[in-house]
Amino acid sequence: MVKGRRLLSWAGILLLSGAASFYGIQAQGEKEPLKAAATGRPDLIKIDTLAAYQKLELPPVTFSHDKHTKALRQDKQDCTTCHLVENGKLSLAYMRRKNSPTAALQEIYHANCIGCHMERAAAGKKAGPPDGLCRACHNAQPQIAAARLDAGLNQVSHFRHTDPKLVPAEQNGKDNCSRCHHEYDAKAKKTFYAQGKEGTCRYCHLAKEKEGVKSLEQAAHLQCVQCHLDLDKRGVKDHGPHDCAGCHGAAAQAGMVKKNQEWVAALPNKEVPRLKRGQPDAVLITHDPKWGEGRPGKPLLMDPVAFDHQAHEKYNDNCRVCHHASMEPCEKCHTLLGAKDGGSINFEQSMHSLSSRASCLGCHTGQQAAANCAGCHNHIRKASRPEDASCRQCHLLAAETAIPGGASPSQICALKPPQKAALAETLLKGRNLNPGTYALEEVPETVEIKDLADRFQPSKFTHRKHIAALLKGIKGNPLAEYFHRDPGAICQGCHHYSPPAKEPPRCGNCHSGESLLARESNRPALLAAQHQQCMSCHADMRLEKPAATACSECHQEKKK
Amino acid sequence: MLRRTFLGLLGAAGVGAALGKPARAAGNQHFTGYPESFGVLFDATRCIGCRNCEAGCNKVNELPPPPEPFDDLSILKVKRRTHSWTYTVVNRYDIPGAPGPVFKKWQCNHCLEPACASSCFVRAFTKTSQGAVTWDGTVCVGCRYCMIACPFEIPTFEFNEPLTPRIMKCTLCYPLITSGKLTVPGCVGACPVEALVYGKRRELLRIAHERFHDFPGRYLNHIYGEHEMGGTNWLYLAGVPFRALGMREDLGVVPAPELTSGALAGVPLVAAAWPVLLTGIYAISRRKDQVARQETAQAVARAVAQTQAEAEGKLKKAMTKAEAEKKAAIEREVKKALEEAAKPQSREGE
Repeated sequence: MVKGRRLLSWAGILLLSGAASFYGIQAQGEKEPLKAAATGRPDLIKIDTLAAYQKLELPPVTFSHDKHTKALRQDKQDCTTCHLVENGKLSLAYMRRKNSPTAALQEIYHANCIGCHMERAAAGKKAGPPDGLCRACHNAQPQIAAARLDAGLNQVSHFRHTDPKLVPAEQNGKDNCSRCHHEYDAKAKKTFYAQGKEGTCRYCHLAKEKEGVKSLEQAAHLQCVQCHLDLDKRGVKDHGPHDCAGCHGAAAQAGMVKKNQEWVAALPNKEVPRLKRGQPDAVLITHDPKWGEGRPGKPLLMDPVAFDHQAHEKYNDNCRVCHHASMEPCEKCHTLLGAKDGGSINFEQSMHSLSSRASCLGCHTGQQAAANCAGCHNHIRKASRPEDASCRQCHLLAAETAIPGGASPSQICALKPPQKAALAETLLKGRNLNPGTYALEEVPETVEIKDLADRFQPSKFTHRKHIAALLKGIKGNPLAEYFHRDPGAICQGCHHYSPPAKEPPRCGNCHSGESLLARESNRPALLAAQHQQCMSCHADMRLEKPAATACSECHQEKKK
Repeated sequence: MLRRTFLGLLGAAGVGAALGKPARAAGNQHFTGYPESFGVLFDATRCIGCRNCEAGCNKVNELPPPPEPFDDLSILKVKRRTHSWTYTVVNRYDIPGAPGPVFKKWQCNHCLEPACASSCFVRAFTKTSQGAVTWDGTVCVGCRYCMIACPFEIPTFEFNEPLTPRIMKCTLCYPLITSGKLTVPGCVGACPVEALVYGKRRELLRIAHERFHDFPGRYLNHIYGEHEMGGTNWLYLAGVPFRALGMREDLGVVPAPELTSGALAGVPLVAAAWPVLLTGIYAISRRKDQVARQETAQAVARAVAQTQAEAEGKLKKAMTKAEAEKKAAIEREVKKALEEAAKPQSREGE
């Protein structure tokens, strides 16, 4: 019996190791990653509808939409071959209006797809895989990847669409806005056109379908592609793309960019005219006067900001950058203390947050990252409490005296809109917009930096050339020109932490000579301060020369 | 001893062992470092890869000249590590998405609870209160456990020194600073852009957080070395993920000595308890044998006595029977003889 026990134990060990290797092998298995979209198509759709209901038995189908529309068009067939029409509206799902229990769903696909393939094959035309070749469609490793770029309208293409010659206006209008822009009446369950309230589709059509409101993808396809198809059917030459590659393909988008450029160049002013939506030219940004209620003795103190809306329209491609959720005034959702509608972001944060493009300061700070600006601005500290002078650039003190008799901020925010607009206009006009610098002749031409000359010769710094280059970078940029009006402002990039002056203090006045132990503040010693200043500016402005490690480009080495 | 006594002692030992707190090396408290210890803060966003730090270290520690000169920057393309002739190296990392190359200076991190010190059984390593982890050559036996233990693979051994090989690693210039020759380590003093800052560790942490606050978006919001392996005295800041700079992110926050203290604390327990346990088991089994032997002997004796008693009884019975028969036979013979004597007398008388 001993022999039997030994055999049993060996069998047990083998069984365990077999099981372990079996599971181990499973864990190792890995598909080869698909090669990136060198051979990418923008029209690939992955059909995995059943994945929402059950675990898929076979891999999802990689379906090439353009291939099929092209083939069908040759046979003079249109979308309704595959997409059912309900109440004049196309259903974007395949051969159905909505998803149904799973067996029927699978049958819809198989019967219709394979059926069509078989019909075409029988008629001698080029067709897809017939019945029985399951993996021809359910291909686990398709050799082509999807390469779909996001598509949409930008300012130029939107303007081209507003041409009534291209897109005719509806009956009673001279503008064709109503062709695309609509509002939704939830009670009547109908869309209708509301003039003066046009906004972006994305306000209502979100990324996913919600409570009967189509997703952006569905809405855009039904609106845009359908219209383009109609125009094509009517024989309009410039009908717009209606296949996947025509909007989502890289080549098509490059072509569109070129066409837009040519179109703009052909305009009278070489720039896109202002959008006609009755938007204000100047806006006075104030508190909502209701916020002052229930706070006796605690008046609202924010000096209003005169906002040049007309100028800012030019700086952005679309309105969504600032009007990110709706066209309502910001303070409706971003209340004094924050509200749920505003994502708990209060009014102050919505205007000053450095991390959001929709906030004033956030956008301005983002502009400072450009190569022309980053040299100075990348190493200027983002202070938590900026100085009064910088607040006054927008919160103009003049507001309080601009109204005859004077007005406090809480009185100003209670003004009627026409008065506010007028006040804004006055304030904007009253600003001095000339960028100021000291005359270049007054600026030293070279500065010899010799405080620490030891291993190296003193450095002959081409001071005037540097200033001239920085001034050139500011020129033509309205943001930069506005905020650099003070002649000493641009000097502050290097001559920092002291008031702007014609003769700023020397570096060594504040940066001591020796490398000390960690100081109370982040203030480097003189050697590091000078090196960091120059080197970081060159790196941030993406200058290849002089390289930070090329010592002799700035100062020659002393011969021993 | 009686089995009951032994079992009672075993139970008491078990309860005693279970009640005690788990042993942890380096004290039962969480060590946050000597309060006034010094360290170095390295800022990878400032480093320009000039290798002045390597040159400075080489000079102040009087190390042998390196195979390539320090102003040869092409060597940065190769990922180097510390060696017995160089306490520190600078490596270059070209990271996709970063605006330019990022450089990292690597050397002993002077952990708050060093693994090298924990692994050294002759106490050659000392974590000084100044912050440096120093190595004492007079007691080192050259076992090189420290090289295996270090999670950053820093200590190096002079393999080409046959008679007096040393463990070579960055000393934070401890002997030079304590003797007053230097105020800051050689590398820190040599850096032209103050990518290295020397100061009290808590100050360095404050400075690092100030930099995070002042320049949002420039740094990754993490100080490498604040908690890694229980904390180190050399802290790193970077604008890219640390693993892209070849720094391990899988080390955890438990100091190295604490990782091994559980197993090590088990050794005395094993050494003390097992002999007792095994001896007890031996004693019990021996006693069992002894008792078995005794009982066997008793049983044998009893059996022998019984048999003997039986045999004696039988013998007595037989003897008695023989006696009785003999008596009966004698009586018969006497009776017969008497009858024989009485008979012939009657015949002669006629």
